[in-house]
This record gives sequence, structure tokens and C-alpha cells, in this order.
Amino acid sequence: MNEQPVIRTQGLTRYFGAQPAVYELSLEVPRGGVFALLGRNGSGKTTTIRMLLGLLEPTRGGGSILGYDIRSLPPEARARIGYLTEEHQLYGWMSVRECGEFQSRFFPTWNDKIFRGVIGHFGLRPTAYVKSLSRGERAGLCLALTLAPEPELLILDDPAVGLDPVARRALVESMIYLTRRSDRTIFFSTHQLPDVERVADHIAVLDHSVLRACCPLETFRNSIRQVRLRFPGSPPALPKIPGLLQAFRSEGELRVTCVHYNGATEAALRGLAPAQMEETPISLEDAFISYLGDRGEKSFILSETEAQP
Amino acid sequence: MKALVRKEMRENVRIAALGLVVHTLMLLSQYRDYVAVPANMSQPLADRGIQWSTAWFCGIFGLVLGWLQVHNERRPDLWAFLIHRPMTRSGIFLGKVIAGLALYALVVGLPLLGFIIWARFPGHVAAPFELAMLQPVAAYLLAGIPYYFAGMLSDLRQARWYASRVLGVGIALAVSLFISLTPEFWQSLLLILVGAGILATAVWGGFQSDGHYRGQPACGKAALTAALIVGCQILAFLGAVLMSNFFLRTAFSGTSSYYAMTTNGIVCKFTQVAGRQVEITDLEGKPLLDQATGKPIEQSEFNSRLAAAITLNVPRAGRLDRGTWMQRDLSLASPWQATQDTLWYYWNRYGRLVGYDVATRRCIGSLGPKGFAADLLGSGDRFSNAERPLGSRALSTATTLFQVDLEKRTIRALFTTKADNPILAHEDVTRSDFGGPHTLVVTKRSAQLLNIEGKPIWQTTYEPAQASYTGFHLFHLEPPDQFALWISPGGPRDEVERERHPGHVVWIAREQGVIRSTDLPALAVPHYAPRPEDRIMFCVMPPALMASIAILHLPLWPAGMPPESLWFSWGSSLLVCLPIGLWLGRRYQFPLAALAGWGVFLLLLGVPGLLTFLSVQEWPAREPCPNCHRPRLVDRPRCDRCGAEWAPPEKTGTEVFAPLLAG
Repeated sequence: MNEQPVIRTQGLTRYFGAQPAVYELSLEVPRGGVFALLGRNGSGKTTTIRMLLGLLEPTRGGGSILGYDIRSLPPEARARIGYLTEEHQLYGWMSVRECGEFQSRFFPTWNDKIFRGVIGHFGLRPTAYVKSLSRGERAGLCLALTLAPEPELLILDDPAVGLDPVARRALVESMIYLTRRSDRTIFFSTHQLPDVERVADHIAVLDHSVLRACCPLETFRNSIRQVRLRFPGSPPALPKIPGLLQAFRSEGELRVTCVHYNGATEAALRGLAPAQMEETPISLEDAFISYLGDRGEKSFILSETEAQP
Repeated sequence: MKALVRKEMRENVRIAALGLVVHTLMLLSQYRDYVAVPANMSQPLADRGIQWSTAWFCGIFGLVLGWLQVHNERRPDLWAFLIHRPMTRSGIFLGKVIAGLALYALVVGLPLLGFIIWARFPGHVAAPFELAMLQPVAAYLLAGIPYYFAGMLSDLRQARWYASRVLGVGIALAVSLFISLTPEFWQSLLLILVGAGILATAVWGGFQSDGHYRGQPACGKAALTAALIVGCQILAFLGAVLMSNFFLRTAFSGTSSYYAMTTNGIVCKFTQVAGRQVEITDLEGKPLLDQATGKPIEQSEFNSRLAAAITLNVPRAGRLDRGTWMQRDLSLASPWQATQDTLWYYWNRYGRLVGYDVATRRCIGSLGPKGFAADLLGSGDRFSNAERPLGSRALSTATTLFQVDLEKRTIRALFTTKADNPILAHEDVTRSDFGGPHTLVVTKRSAQLLNIEGKPIWQTTYEPAQASYTGFHLFHLEPPDQFALWISPGGPRDEVERERHPGHVVWIAREQGVIRSTDLPALAVPHYAPRPEDRIMFCVMPPALMASIAILHLPLWPAGMPPESLWFSWGSSLLVCLPIGLWLGRRYQFPLAALAGWGVFLLLLGVPGLLTFLSVQEWPAREPCPNCHRPRLVDRPRCDRCGAEWAPPEKTGTEVFAPLLAG
């Protein structure tokens, strides 16, 4: 792997009014592979991508992309970056073919085979007008327009929005296809955790505008554990447990999800004197949901239980 | 670039088609108006109608086209799709502008070209034409370009204060207004170029920063500021007018006086003082009494006794007041008179009357001092009328006044003078109360009233005591055959001179000639006291502009600019605008050079400057510094007071970080 990061940010911050949308984001994305940017709605994913592409001025901080300052990306840098926007907006009056022709005029590395292949995969007629396409079809066309120039870095802003499972699979396959060349990098934001699981090598998690995780996917997966505690009666009130993400209480059972599970965590849980304590497997989706759920107060059920004397 | 230009053309083809239809219909309406009246004495290409319709259409179409060209892509994702391509933002801007201006030229130019071809085709228009007549239309056509950029700017700007987005239109409006006031055509073109240049630079700057002020190159910021200042001045002006409505409007404040002539030949002096009744006195200062009541005469009663006047201005030696180029353009060829089957124009270029046949719409020949000729030039003989002779019965050369008979296409000498006493001006006196059609003729050394046969009714010498005495006012008095000739400073720009030297009056009778004459005493310099609404208006005027008016003695106020205007203007700038600007600059930690620059800007431009300052600036949020707990700007990496950097995000203990790069 090339040691020079393809994206680097340092203290990247953006405010909208008095509200920070992205706060002190320092991130390095390695060259090659697939990097997923995750987070709940409004956590700052799109803002981050817009700042990286010089489409939004950072309030403070800065960064580079392919070695170029994000505040002044030259045309040659843009030629090497493919960008798929979140809403998949295009010119409604253009036909699919015209969209391809328009885009091809700007990108010297345009590969018409890829364009035709992708639109064919999505079942798009070249004569169809953009305004008559469904959201999924439009997403497919946008993907074709983004992939056809064979960019060195592909930035996809929630590419799966509005796609049906078949189209989503096609998208994932496209991403896998693109990363056949080891120096290509895909940086994408998404809510689709199965896709992340399938293709992502690294992830970053934004939570309320702040970067909370940035690591290989496996590291993240291994950091989060779920433990089931059984009690003869009602589970006792939960003490302060290091790394606690979520806890669900049900009749005679307490299910606890923690990050950085270690001896201290285990000792704290054993202090509750459960009749049985066992680690249960957790899917990546559940791990993310636990990770991105509210901290401290945890779940609604637990809050209610904690309110009891 | 080509792909972008093509895309822009295609994208805006609908609005272009709509514009083409509307413009064509407007010109068709001009065409219909012209052909509906065969005896219509106008050149449709130089008509006020086409000038106004072009001005309106070009302004509105330019504005809408520019606005749409940006608005089509103003949705964030489509804007990103546009911007994220391997070309500079300047290139994208240029592509849009090339396409936009090409469409503008097509929509505005194509129907106009068709109209010009129709009008120039022989047999269509019975009126003289020369290329210079198209200059006003060309100027208004070009004046639409600033509107085009103003439209782009209005949609591009990411203004915090939403209403300020349209302020850029102000400079386009100012250009439209001032192009009709410049003395020369090239000055109007320069004005359009400057206006369009400022707006285009502001739009270009906006493209560099997605419409934000922050992040623009310095020239973009300067252009944006310049583009908004005119709009802010208009806004301040409208605000002042609205505020003025809260005050009682007093009809007059200050003092002024002037002379007037009654039907019985008495010159009276009117003196108006604020808060007092108008005082009407004779030249000795005695109040004029109403013979019926024996009391000082009421103004309404006096007004009914004022004598009617015929006015004639002669060119003042050494002063060339050419007016604006648009005024001159309108008199290139003036409608003169019509007969049953012919239309006659005075064509300045040839100095002759040129006739057109109503039926064939073709030129039939011209009339000069030596008579009729079948062509436009004749034998090179020409009249020397400098004034528009619309409806006049007579035309003149330097030494001869001619009467024209258009039915017979002949001319007859009415009055002749010597070469050392040339005719300066003449005027038909057709009012019935003057006792029949006469002609007032002023030569270098005399003024005389001629009857219809050309014989003098009376004559008096013209030996002006003042060089400014170029205005002749002829009064017909009672009993009949009594006249008064009042010679005073002529022209609208001689207001001050009119107070100092109100004029020389000569009383003349038909049989006796000059009965008496007098020089009117100088009038007191009028004093003008600003009213509350005037003071509000002064407060919102840029101090630098007010000072320039005072220094250059621009005649914007009849009685001179009141000194209070400068006090109010500079006062509002110094006491309100500058402190607000400096306070905001300090609060938002402007660099010293920027603070000084804005300080000077606010000082010189006052209220409109402050509005501009508030419109262009973007104010970053402020948060308490984690170190010194005092407010600090979120866009600065360090606190300006304690130098602390921003604290990293608070740890929750759930962070998962691992190195991604090898080594």
C-alpha cells in the first residue's frame, strides 16, 4: 500500500450559522481500497465530502486530496476524481446518451465501454430522457457518468439511496470492479451496512459532527461486543461500565453492548452477580446501531428502568 | 468549453424562444402602429416607441436570462455536478456567459434586424434615415447586458440578508438612466462597459466561491461591493422617502423672489418667505394694491393679470450647449409639415426640407433656399436653422428669412439682413391675442416683429448689457398693439445669473416704437432652508458625493446647495456609519488593513456604504474560548486574546482509532 494518503484533513471544521456540521475532523484515507464514511443523518458526511471536493469552504482547518489543497482544486485534480452526488441530480432535458456525450467532452480518460456497460446493467435506454427516469435509474446513470472516466479516486455520496436491492448489488459490483486496480480508491458515505460489510476495507464514523472511529473494518467489528446477562428476577440497576454503548433490559435478562471490551468491563458486569453471562455474536449492522445510538441514557427501556428507585 | 456552451444554449432555448416571440410581437406592434397611419410623420427606427420598448425588453430579458442561467443549476447537487469537472471555474463562467450573450444577441438582435430591413426597404417608410438614428436603440440593446449579469449575480449570491441579493440590479438601472444623459455616445458606451464590467467581475468572483463573499479574489470582492453600492443608495433613498412621509410636508422653506409682467405692462416683484404670505410689490418696493378693495393684492387675483409670453432663446456667444447625444439624435431629421399627399422633414444633414410621397412612401425631392430640387442635395444650398423648426412657417439662412409654400414647393424671401448683422433666431407668433400671425426675428444687433408680409411692426436694438442676455420674452399688453420685450439670461442653466441680472425690459408700441426701457434691479440671492424630510434625505446621501457636488458647483439645487446638507451627510457618516462599521470590524477581528479600508469606505459613502458593508460581509459565529472563556470567532484557528487553539472533540471513551497507513 502506498503510504501517501489520498485524502488528508487536519482540523477540518464547518459551521452553518452557530451550529458545527463537521468539527475538527482529522482523517487520513490510504490509497487503494474502499473507505466508508458512516454516520446518522445530519452527522456531517455530505458536508465533509463537499469540503473535500472544494464545493464548500471550510470554516477552519484544511486538507488535501490527491496531494492538492482542497480549497483550490485544479482541473487536473478534478479529472482524477469521480464524484457521485447524493441526490443524483442531472439535467432533466438531456437524454441518457446526451448525458454521456456531455460528460465525455470533459474527461480525456472517458471509457465509453464502461458507460454503456453500466447503463446497460441498469436497463437504461440511451434515448430516454433524464426527467423520465426513476430515482434508481437516475442513480445508475450518475454511476455510469462517474465510473466511465475511470477516476483514480471515486467519491460517492450515499450512492445507494433510492436503489432497489438488484441495483444496489450492481453498484457494489461496480465498486469491486473499480478497485481491481490497486491504486484506485473509493471513498463513500452510506447507510447501507451490508454494502459496507461487502466492500469496505476501512471505515470512519461521524457522530454528531465529530469523528469517533477511524480504523479498518475488522478492527471496528472486533472492538464491539455484546454480552447477555441472565438473572433469576429483575436485573439490577446498571452501574457505570467503561465503553458501554447500549443496554436492553427484558424479563430476567440484560443485553449489554460495549466497545473496547476488556477485563474492567467484564469485572463491572460480573459485579451485577448474574446467574449466567455469555458473549453473543453481533452483526455489523447491530454493532453500528449500538455505536451510533444515544450514549449515556442508552435505550428507552433502560431509561425507564433506571428511573425506578 | 464547447460542450458547456452547447449545453447552456440548449438548456435556455425555451426562454430564448419565448423572448424571441415577445420581442417580435413588440416590434410587430410598432410596425402596425406605423402602417395604420399613412400620414404618420416619424421614422420608426428612431422613434421613442422603439427606443422604450427596446430598453424595457432588453432589461427584463437580460435579467431573466442571467438569473435562469444560474438558477437552473443552483440546487446543490447539480451545482456540484457542474463545478466538479476538469475545467477552471473561470472557464465555466466564461462558457455560461458566451452562451448567454449569444442567446441574448439572437433574441434581441434578430427581430430588430428584421425590423430594420423592413424599414430600410424603399417604399416602406416615408421618413429620412441615417445610421446615427439607430444609436439610441443600440445603446439600450447594449444596456441590457448589465441586467444580464445582474440577474446572474442575484441568483448566485449566497447572501445572509435575502433582499440584498437583488441589489446588483441597482447598477444596471443606473446605467440605463445615465446613458440618456451623457453628452456623447461614446460616453454612454463607456458607461455600459463599466457597469457590465463591474457586474461581470462580481459574478466571476461569485463563481470562484460558490456565491459567497468569503473566498473570492480581491477584485471579485471589490466588484461585488461596487455592484451593490448603487442598489444600496436606491434602497436608502426609498427608505428616506418612506420616513419623510411621517413629517408634515411644508410647501416652501426659505426665501426667494422673482419678477413678473402684468397685462398692463407693470413689472412686479414677488417675494416669498417661509411661513409668510407672498409679497407682491412694484419696482419701487410699494405693495401692489387691489383697486377694488384698496388692500394688497391677493396672489390668485394677481395671477389672472399676468401677461402671456412668447419665448425665444438665441445661442449664447462662446457657449456651446449641445445637450445630450440622445437629444441631438432626435433632431437629426425633424417632422416639419405635411400636405394632403406629402410629408416634409427638416433634415439637418442636408440643411433642407425633404419631402416624401404619402402614397408611394418614397422621397420626392428637397427644398432649399434656392428652391425645389429632385434630389436631397440640390445645388448645395442649405438653411441654417439650428433649432428644431417643428411646425414653423419660416426657415432662414444667415441673412434671409424665408416663407415656404409646400403645396407649390416654392419659397419666398420674407426678410433680409446684412452679413454683419446675421439672423440669430426667429419664432412664429401665432397666438390670437398677439393680433395675427407674426414672426419675431432676432439678429445680432436688433429684434423685430414682422407681420405675415415680412414688414416690421416694430424694431428695437439688441445691445445686451450682459453676455448672458440671450432669452427673449415677448409680452402682448393692453391696450392692444402694446408690447414688452424682456431680455434675460436664457437657458435652464442660468438660474444664478438670473438672480444677479434679472434682465432688461423694453416697452414698445406699434406706432411709436420704443416707449421706454429699464434694467431690472438684482434680486436677493434666494435662501433655501432644508425641511425635515430634506434633512433625512441628506443623511442617507454619500458624503463624498455631496462634497463633490459642492466642490464642482453642480446645479442640482436652484439656489445652490445648502451648507446643512454637508453637515447632515457627513454627520450621519461620522456618528453612525463609521462607529457601527468599526465596532463590527473589531468584533469580527478584521485585519488592520481591512478595518482601515472599510473605515474609509464608510466615512466616504455613509449610509449606502454601511448597507453595502452589511450586505457583502459574512459574519462567522462566535463561541466562548475553552481557555479564556471569552467569545472568539469560529473561523480562526487561535483565540486572538489568549492564543489558545481549539480543543479537540471531547472524548467519550468509545472512540475506535487504528492506524490506516503502513508505518
